[in-house]
Amino acid sequence: MNIKKQPLYTSKDLAARGYEESGPGRYPYSRGPYETMYTRRPWTIRQYAGFSTAQESNAFYRKALKAGQKGLSVAFDLATHRGYDSDHPGVEGDVGKAGVAIDTAEDMIQLFDGIPLDEVSVSMTMNGAVLPVMACFIVAAEEQGVSQEKLAGTIQNDILKEFMVRNTYIYPPAPSMTIVSDIMAYTHRKMPRFNSISVSGYHMQEAGATPLQELAFTIADGLAYLEAARSAGLRVDDAAPRVSFFFALGMDFLTETAKLRAARELWARLVRERFQPENEKSLVLRMHCQTSGWSLTAQDPLNNVIRTTIEALAGVLGGTQSLHTNSYDEALSLPTDRAARIARNTQLILQEEAGLCQTIDPLAGSYAIESLTSDIASGAMEIIREVDALGGMIRAIEQGMPQRRIQESAASRQAAIDSGDEVIVGVNAYRSEEAQEVDVFDVDNKKVLNQQKKKLDHIRSERDPGTVAQALERVTKEALADQQAGRLLEAMVDAARARATVGEMSSALEHVWGRHRAAQTAISGAYRKSFQNKTLFMEIVQEVEAFARREGRRPRMLVVKLGQDGHDRGARIVATAFADIGFDVDLGPLFLTPAEAARQAIENDVHVVGVSTLAGAHKTLIPSLIDELKREGADNIAVVAGGVIPDKDAEWLRKKGVLEIFGPGTRIPEAARRVLGCIAARGAGKGSR
Amino acid sequence: MAKERKQHIRSDMGREEFQSAGMFRAWADAIRSGSRRELARAITLVESARPEDVEPAQQLLELLLPYTGGAQRIGISGVPGVGKSTFIETLGKELIADGRKVAVLAVDPSSPLSGGSILGDKTRMVDFARSDAAFIRPSPAGKTPGGVARKTREAILICESAGYDIVLVETVGVGQAEWQVSRMVDFFAVLMLPNAGDSLQGIKRGILEMADAILVNKADGGMREAALHAVNEYQSAMELSESRESGIIIRSCSALDCITVRSCWQELAAALADRKKDNRFDNRRRDQLRHWIRSLAEDSLMQILQDDRNSQKFLEELAAEVDSGNTTPLRAGLAFRKKVVSGLVDQDERNRMPI
Ligand SMILES: Nc1nc2c(ncn2[C@@H]2O[C@H](COP(=O)(O)OP(=O)(O)OP(=O)(O)O)[C@@H](O)[C@H]2O)c(=O)[nH]1
Ligand SMILES: [Mg+2]
Repeated sequence: MNIKKQPLYTSKDLAARGYEESGPGRYPYSRGPYETMYTRRPWTIRQYAGFSTAQESNAFYRKALKAGQKGLSVAFDLATHRGYDSDHPGVEGDVGKAGVAIDTAEDMIQLFDGIPLDEVSVSMTMNGAVLPVMACFIVAAEEQGVSQEKLAGTIQNDILKEFMVRNTYIYPPAPSMTIVSDIMAYTHRKMPRFNSISVSGYHMQEAGATPLQELAFTIADGLAYLEAARSAGLRVDDAAPRVSFFFALGMDFLTETAKLRAARELWARLVRERFQPENEKSLVLRMHCQTSGWSLTAQDPLNNVIRTTIEALAGVLGGTQSLHTNSYDEALSLPTDRAARIARNTQLILQEEAGLCQTIDPLAGSYAIESLTSDIASGAMEIIREVDALGGMIRAIEQGMPQRRIQESAASRQAAIDSGDEVIVGVNAYRSEEAQEVDVFDVDNKKVLNQQKKKLDHIRSERDPGTVAQALERVTKEALADQQAGRLLEAMVDAARARATVGEMSSALEHVWGRHRAAQTAISGAYRKSFQNKTLFMEIVQEVEAFARREGRRPRMLVVKLGQDGHDRGARIVATAFADIGFDVDLGPLFLTPAEAARQAIENDVHVVGVSTLAGAHKTLIPSLIDELKREGADNIAVVAGGVIPDKDAEWLRKKGVLEIFGPGTRIPEAARRVLGCIAARGAGKGSR
Repeated sequence: MAKERKQHIRSDMGREEFQSAGMFRAWADAIRSGSRRELARAITLVESARPEDVEPAQQLLELLLPYTGGAQRIGISGVPGVGKSTFIETLGKELIADGRKVAVLAVDPSSPLSGGSILGDKTRMVDFARSDAAFIRPSPAGKTPGGVARKTREAILICESAGYDIVLVETVGVGQAEWQVSRMVDFFAVLMLPNAGDSLQGIKRGILEMADAILVNKADGGMREAALHAVNEYQSAMELSESRESGIIIRSCSALDCITVRSCWQELAAALADRKKDNRFDNRRRDQLRHWIRSLAEDSLMQILQDDRNSQKFLEELAAEVDSGNTTPLRAGLAFRKKVVSGLVDQDERNRMPI
């Protein structure tokens, strides 16, 4: 499922692919959506950020704008994503951690305090709780004196990829699609400068998709949204020009550059074919790009500056409209100020010093780039045809097809790295012996939690309960009516104005639609198949077999994520790879509490629980898992952890009883061996008999 | 059992420790008084493939046996993705709402390549799994078919002794393992997909022979029509079949809809109640016990053969003979039987003994 590059491209390759010259701002737009591109205005430097409380994020935004950033991109915490207030019992570890905590319109007002919303465009990564968050945003602007038709920016509002890879959905698929089209309809009527959706491939590639899969599934998602808009009564020319896209930039420089060019071409062709728009603008794909977070390494973190620069360059040469460059320390924690500055400077240097804005689409006509562009477009088209055959993207996701494909790619990639076939500098080759001291940034989650709780209590006591109740009732009523005409968001805005909380607004819909639970599945076999160094692989397999013979059963491990963190690439890969090695793996459902995880570990009588953590909630949740196990007399069940865990947290967690900690870049056979060691340290199956 | 029988068994205190029968009594008591952990550990013990765990497992079972037999044992099977776990989640929640205690034993297939497995059933039973009145234990099927089934029967007994009054057994597919599971439950329900028309021919026969109910699942949304159609097909297939004297429940259902799941349960419970009235229920259990003993005997015979060097060597020799054309497979089989079986049982028995 990868694009294979030829050793050499010549003019014959162009001819063979029927290459035709075209111009920027011209169909099929491979050379760029606009005629002048960066020559008139460079791409927008749009750094995705948010953490802790609204005040703290606000201070960060102001600093960034002063330092040359042009637009804002808000990261919300996981509690907000999942539609819970900060004082909800299931979210204590997640509040303010991976983004800013927003509970009411008050928080949103503070978030944009002193930032003129009629001038600065705001992009918001929100999908699950998209209605309450949009509503709070509109109210915040209103209280600044900015009416909603002046608001510029983008709401991600891309629920399909949540069901596919990111898992921050709230409602089941059908009502979730209703929300998407409700927002499309609302922004069409009331917010002419606002992009109603950002169709995101980024998270697919982060979850393991190849660039080709990313492109195909993203375009297919986009088509599904246009369909949804059409059935909600919007004309394609009302919907399509407000659809924007969001792609990842991985390390394969030529492929990524060509992918962006192919994306525009493919979209233009398919929208024309399938929707026959009258407005030429409906054919034009505009995009935001972000360098790959997955490509960052915890080892030798300054290497990440180089990686990010190369990835950013692909975005620029591919003609992106805005760009986020990651900070070098993001494999370890949220960015420190210094790392954030360097990330921003990477773009400023590309814009100001590298001369890249003087010439439009400089790679056009290159034998290699044009051939790759064409190959990627036709490769993606093949996948889109498969999706069509399944009845479109929604059906394909229901049947798990894109999820399976992406998991396969992720597992094969892991196997390639673990077996040394794919080199990652500083990780599986050219390792540095030098100790790497890196500052890490940590949010004091308990403090944020307390502040948010206090604020919530205050707001709940100040507001008029009658108005809130009435507004929420109307939200529920609109959900029942299912009009798909922007009326949901309208009702939400009233509720937000009355200071209803994000949690209350979300439950008003949950009453009608319920909360969605996706079945967790993991594929098997893909890791084993792709692991080229069979000797290395069989070594660990034999160790596991020996364990099984000795103990009367295979080593059994429960793989869980705790809290609201839905990034499960790591957990799934571990599940697949460990099962391929010969473990029995219990894959826990997402969004478990520590007590639920402990119970599952005990009922299934596993030897070990492996917690995968990426969102920073580990310091709260893992110790409470260990306590729960102890309380049930099951402290012989070992606990190990993997994911993004800074060194000093690792030390702390060890003291709390975590036996092993697997940082990013741990080879899985190695991890499996250490897990066997942990089981032995706990007396193997002893206690479990 | 009253005497202090010493056992060689692993425990918290160490593998080489000799444990007294008192430990098993304490263990059994803990299970009966509702300890989730001890129940789980007991299932691990009976599932263990270590020869030295067999005796302790039996010892524990013996202590629990007086408290077994009271549950309704229901098997639920069907192809991957048909909705077994979803059905169990919905049904389980309904039963618990009625005040029942429900245990689920889910047998998941293991990879034939690695022997490992991915056990994900609980992700489909999240709400149900949270309930205090539920116990869910997924188990890997392992590489050897049939092995699971024997252990599942013992696990059922352990759950019963822990006070669960309904035990649901989820197995995938309709093969060898399911055949065995159907012989250890009071009621065996097979879930089917609405549009499984083509595959229907092949598996129809087997299913009709072992199923007490065929539930055509996912009869909701756009699939309702197809499901009704499938129900008709099964019904007419059933009418043609003469292999069963008692009827099968054939109906459509949606695992997502608690009302239809509840009505499935009512139908099923009514059938069980009927059978209790005229001894069919008890007879079936008695037959199953016989079947159990028989299959245990068969298994141990197989084991003896596999472990016996001389027999294995003789088999090799016979195979070589067949290879070189000196004898036929049939004759070789007879020769093997003559040589191996002669020492085992008397002449009369031997004629009926399958190898
Ligand atoms: N529409 C509909 N979907 C269902 C129904 N039952 C299950 N599903 C869906 O079918 C998929 C598979 O359901 P499971 O319950 O996991 O199926 P299973 O038979 O247990 O699968 P395995 O354990 O993998 O063999 C899930 O996405 C369910 O949501 C139903 O009655 N109607
Ligand atoms: Mg299942």
